[in-house]
Amino acid sequence: MPCLTKAWFTGQVVQNQTALYRTARTILKNREDAEDAVQEAILAAYASLDTLRTPESFKPWILRILTNRCYDVCRRSRPTVDLSDVENVLCASGTDCTEKMSLWQAVEQLPDDLRTPITLFYYEDLNIRQICSVLNLSEPAVKTRLHRGRAKLRELLGEEGT
Amino acid sequence: MNEFDELLKKRAREEPFPLPEDYAGRVFAACASLEEKQVKAKKTHTLHRWAMGVAAALAVFVAVPNLSAPAAAAMERIPVLGSIVKVITFRTYTYDDEHAHADVSVPQIEGSGSAAASVNADAQKYTDALVEQFKADCADLGEAYEGLNVTYDVVTDSDTWFTLRVDALETKASGYQFAKIYNIDKTTDQVVALDGLFKDDSDWAKALSDEVLRQMNEQMADASSGTAYFTEDFTGVTADQNYYFDAEGNLVLAFDEYTVAPGSMGAVEFTIAPSAYENLLK
Repeated sequence: MPCLTKAWFTGQVVQNQTALYRTARTILKNREDAEDAVQEAILAAYASLDTLRTPESFKPWILRILTNRCYDVCRRSRPTVDLSDVENVLCASGTDCTEKMSLWQAVEQLPDDLRTPITLFYYEDLNIRQICSVLNLSEPAVKTRLHRGRAKLRELLGEEGT
Repeated sequence: MNEFDELLKKRAREEPFPLPEDYAGRVFAACASLEEKQVKAKKTHTLHRWAMGVAAALAVFVAVPNLSAPAAAAMERIPVLGSIVKVITFRTYTYDDEHAHADVSVPQIEGSGSAAASVNADAQKYTDALVEQFKADCADLGEAYEGLNVTYDVVTDSDTWFTLRVDALETKASGYQFAKIYNIDKTTDQVVALDGLFKDDSDWAKALSDEVLRQMNEQMADASSGTAYFTEDFTGVTADQNYYFDAEGNLVLAFDEYTVAPGSMGAVEFTIAPSAYENLLK
């Protein structure tokens, strides 16, 4: 059986660093909080590396640790919002925005409970069972959220999503 | 996946996602601060922790025909009637470790009819699939708690119907309750799906769906009850809908948790008055 080393772990983290930050941002509105949560999740994941059952499941495994951290942050702190985030949303929903809405701008406008499952499905390519495990939700609950999120994205982006 | 899904995945891959300027540095710093160590990768499944039991010692007697003497005599004259005498636990699967727990009972109908054999084969296949999925979920994540409990029950054992219900509860942080219900028509020795009850040219699905919606709206109208249903997402009753006839002979439609109502409502059932469908029956 292969050994999981610091070098292997670091390689996996670097490979998934965008996924980690993006997922954190679906839960935490504040950029600093998201970066802190990712850093804490990296340390926590390495400390509990022996709980990773297979190297192939690294991504959903660390995303689960990360989402738990993010929910802890939410419970601890009052919601704050970056000014840049406000500008993004205003651009996405207002009439002054000259460019078409990006997918991420549309995702940011989804209700809290839909944003993370949608991101894990479309951006991170996790399957429904993996999303269930990351978010501690049942399969029908994930399917329902994906269904609603998809409908909302269709509304925001237009029928063709372009 | 449909075209819209494909398009969103494509956009997710191709559209730039800006990371904060200092983010990569912070990730690097976190990784650099880790102390060297080596952890042996685990096997995909710890199969030795699985225990399996087979029928005999665990046999559970469930149902005995409880009929009057004339009815019992009449029953004997119909070849297939009475061929189902009991349900036993054919096999059990149990699993336990620090993070996961499973307890699965696989039922088997004891009887000579072909319907019983068909139900037994399907129940075996169904529970095997649940167990395999559970193992796959366990392999996916380490810290996650996973639970699977499968039990069964004889819901109805009347002169006409024998109904076996296999209930499953998957647990993560929250539970998900779902069921598979098998209805055997004793008079024909057939497993009957919901559409098999109705005339081919009848719009039974609309009749039953309308009644379910009516009951949902009626219950939600009482604000103090705290009742909630996904009426907008309800797409209607289909041929594979779980159903059974209760002790009074009423048709009951059973829905899995989350399918038509929020999780707080659990798995819900609707009893349908005969007036809603009796002229549509075969």
